[in-house]
Amino acid sequence: MDRRVRVVAVVFILCFTVLFLQLNNLQVRKASALQHSPYAPSTVVSTWNLPRGDIVSSTGSVLAYSTKNPTGAGYVRHYVNGPLYADVTGYYDWAQQALQFGVEDQYNRYLVEHESSVHSISDLLTQTKGTDTVEVTISPKLQAVAKAALAPYTDGAVVALDPTTGAILAMYSKPSYDPNKLSGADGKAIDKYYASLNPSTGSSPLVNGATSTLTAPGSTFKIITTSAILDHAPALATKYVKPTGALKLPQTNLQLHNFAGEVCGGTLAVNLWVSCDTAFGYYGLQLGGHNLASEANAFGLNKRPPIDLPAAEVSASRFPSAASFAQNQPGLAYSAIGQENVAETVLQDALVAAAIANGGTIMAPHLMAHVFDSQGRVVATYTPHAWLHATSIATADQVRELMLGVAAHGTAAGLFPPSLNVAAKTGTAEVGNNNCSSNWLVATGPAGAGQVPKVAVAAIVPYQPNIACDGTGATVAGPVVAKVLDAAVGYAG
Amino acid sequence: MTRRALPRRAIFGTPSRWARARRRSELGLLIVASVMVLFAALLVSLALSDALPANALKIVLTMVGLTLGLQIVNRRLVPDADPVIMPVALALNGIGYVMIEALDPGHAGQQVAWMVLGLVAYTIVLAAVKRSRDLERYRYLILAAAFLMLVAPLFPVIGRSPANQNAYGAKLWVSFHSISFQPVEIGKLLLVLFFASYFVEKRELLTIPTRRVGDHLLPDLRAFGPIAVAWVLSLLVILAEHDIGFSLLVFAVFLTLLWITTGRWAYVLIGLVLFAAGAYFASHLLTQVNDRISIWLNPWSQAQSGGYQPIQGELAFGRGGLWGSGLGLGLVQINTPGNVVLPVATSDYIFAAIGEELGLVGTVALLVGYVLIVGSGLRAGLRARSEFAKLAAVGLTVTLGFQAFIIMAGVTRLLPDTGMTLPFVSYGGSSLVANYILLALLMRISNEGNHVPAAPPTPIWTTQ
Repeated sequence: MDRRVRVVAVVFILCFTVLFLQLNNLQVRKASALQHSPYAPSTVVSTWNLPRGDIVSSTGSVLAYSTKNPTGAGYVRHYVNGPLYADVTGYYDWAQQALQFGVEDQYNRYLVEHESSVHSISDLLTQTKGTDTVEVTISPKLQAVAKAALAPYTDGAVVALDPTTGAILAMYSKPSYDPNKLSGADGKAIDKYYASLNPSTGSSPLVNGATSTLTAPGSTFKIITTSAILDHAPALATKYVKPTGALKLPQTNLQLHNFAGEVCGGTLAVNLWVSCDTAFGYYGLQLGGHNLASEANAFGLNKRPPIDLPAAEVSASRFPSAASFAQNQPGLAYSAIGQENVAETVLQDALVAAAIANGGTIMAPHLMAHVFDSQGRVVATYTPHAWLHATSIATADQVRELMLGVAAHGTAAGLFPPSLNVAAKTGTAEVGNNNCSSNWLVATGPAGAGQVPKVAVAAIVPYQPNIACDGTGATVAGPVVAKVLDAAVGYAG
Repeated sequence: MTRRALPRRAIFGTPSRWARARRRSELGLLIVASVMVLFAALLVSLALSDALPANALKIVLTMVGLTLGLQIVNRRLVPDADPVIMPVALALNGIGYVMIEALDPGHAGQQVAWMVLGLVAYTIVLAAVKRSRDLERYRYLILAAAFLMLVAPLFPVIGRSPANQNAYGAKLWVSFHSISFQPVEIGKLLLVLFFASYFVEKRELLTIPTRRVGDHLLPDLRAFGPIAVAWVLSLLVILAEHDIGFSLLVFAVFLTLLWITTGRWAYVLIGLVLFAAGAYFASHLLTQVNDRISIWLNPWSQAQSGGYQPIQGELAFGRGGLWGSGLGLGLVQINTPGNVVLPVATSDYIFAAIGEELGLVGTVALLVGYVLIVGSGLRAGLRARSEFAKLAAVGLTVTLGFQAFIIMAGVTRLLPDTGMTLPFVSYGGSSLVANYILLALLMRISNEGNHVPAAPPTPIWTTQ
């Protein structure tokens, strides 16, 4: 009997050992995962009582910081130039009890007070809690230029990024909102301001116009069509397309007309320079749905760019499936010029330009540069890496040369100083039937042969009541991009 | 000489020469436990109100009173008993009280009252049960009492389904006016005592094969009659009352004692098969069982309903991490209408609340506490002077230790949650009183085993 009592004791030891291991599993191994669980209760209630780390720009200027709440418990969040950086920082929302936006949400685990990481044995003994500082890649100078450039408009968005690393240098969209008014201590005022932003509508200022809003890219999509020609049907590039003002479309009696009834045609280079719709419609039909769709997907359409923002804020751009064109050949022609069901975010269009500038490789776009702890030690660094290999170096080089022509003597002529060697493409997308347009321009520079590109910029100024209906990508979006790009490459004017 | 004329010492047993040392170490440990509890109460008060506890004097006096009272009772009634059991129980009980003070201050006073009542019950049982073999003698009376305890909640007048939500459809309570009690808690102790005495009596019948079935010899099946009846009836009662944790516990103790008595693995095997079948049917017959299992496997599929509690329990452990948030500083403190972070934080899920506020350090300390009690209980079993005492000690220890294990395993999602109280720590009077009675019996057996009589039996027992 005594032997069996001892066996019972051993069984107990085993049971409690399993419990001990499970407790270690929950409280040590999985602790941080559990702390960031989506089921975590009112995280905001708890973090409201804790200090919160700063968000700083690439120059070290503070974008967001916390101070003790003077009127009660907890901390109040402040945003320096709040509306300017709202798309980047997001806001620290405790009244809505959800962190929905921006770096505040994406890097919450660093910003909230947490156990600081262990660097030495003495750290282990004196382990303290602390907050980290998140440094973003945003340049305050470019961000301010972007805002100033969009000043005449109520609606618009700009993204500037470094094609060689994917670092976002500027990201600004209008209308913007003031994150300060969503992060104070007065819950009622917050609720009122939040309601005034029409949060449930797609045009709410809370929506990130640069990464979330989808618009037909118009002629800027011709960059991808051109790349598709060079990759899949190089013979088309040298083929002379007879000039015409209207392209007869298969499967229908309708015709595709050029912008403002122009007559155009020629080889690929000429057609891209003048942005000839009939010629590109013809190219689309010649390429076929499969080639065009696979090229679009290679450039990242139908995928959500891996930018370090909450997934809900980042949309995948759209291109119809290859199969859908079999019964819709007119749609293929329109898709080749970025119309009908094609839609892109400004971020995606900037990435297309970046792909051309960076030898066909799209680097993963990102906002975080470094995370520092309270002692100034680097806790995390964003390692640039490729997202997609959109096309070959040879193709990218050829497209780049053609886009240099667009800026030198094509539709974007006169926007950029010739010495900068800018490659660009305009886009004037028709919206509705009223001849009013959404105006795009993408550009990258310096883009001369052998030059290292510094920046790729995309801007959209959609149709809005206070601008003339007959604007084009070059006349409306062009100056916006030009200002940002000039500032980025250090052109003093 | 009749037994009646025996001196008191002979009845309680002559203390060994280590008795004084044992009680001295117990006093030391009791003081350590009390000081720990007092500091914990101070920390909670500082965390919640930045002030000394309003009832500071009362708490100090209670702890001093309990320490001295226990010491006096043990010196007089069980001078040779294990010195570790009661201090550990007091420490667990004290930490439980402090957690309740932090999480649900309205009920903390009641918990202290039950704590005192539990120790009164402890004293009464020690004084009444002078020898463990007294219990062996009245086995069928004990069985009858156990059944009465089990079925009491089903009687229309006194039984009731509690209004509070955390009972989850179980019918476990009897109440007279405003006093409610879970008789099952006492019932399970009586069942353990009955199993122990019955197994001792029928040991040979159960062990030695006499019946030939084919080429095999099996023990006489008739010996299992009363056991089977007792077991099936108690399971039926449990089905009627929907208390899964209890049936699991009784079954585990039953199997353990049967195996210790007979050493036959076949019983364990048959028992486990029976259990598997029972669990299978229960999960189909009782939606409650089925729910608990599906919640255990995937709480996230019903994160806002049945899965909320286990998920929040797990998250509380995660928030606690290694060192915990500090007493009174956890998120589990948030318990306002419409915003309850951890439901049932003072009873079933108190372990998770401790996990958050005291961290891994605290939960492991709790584990160590139970291991110490289980170890001491099993040692009492090893040293017991009779087979009955041995089985009773092991049975009682397994009851306490296994209950602690399955509730802690349930809260950490190692096993499905069975909804039982964590012995000595959770809020709940019946469980507290029953567990102190359990310890009284263990202390009695430990005391008997520890005073090794000098070589020959005392002359009183020899015939001239």
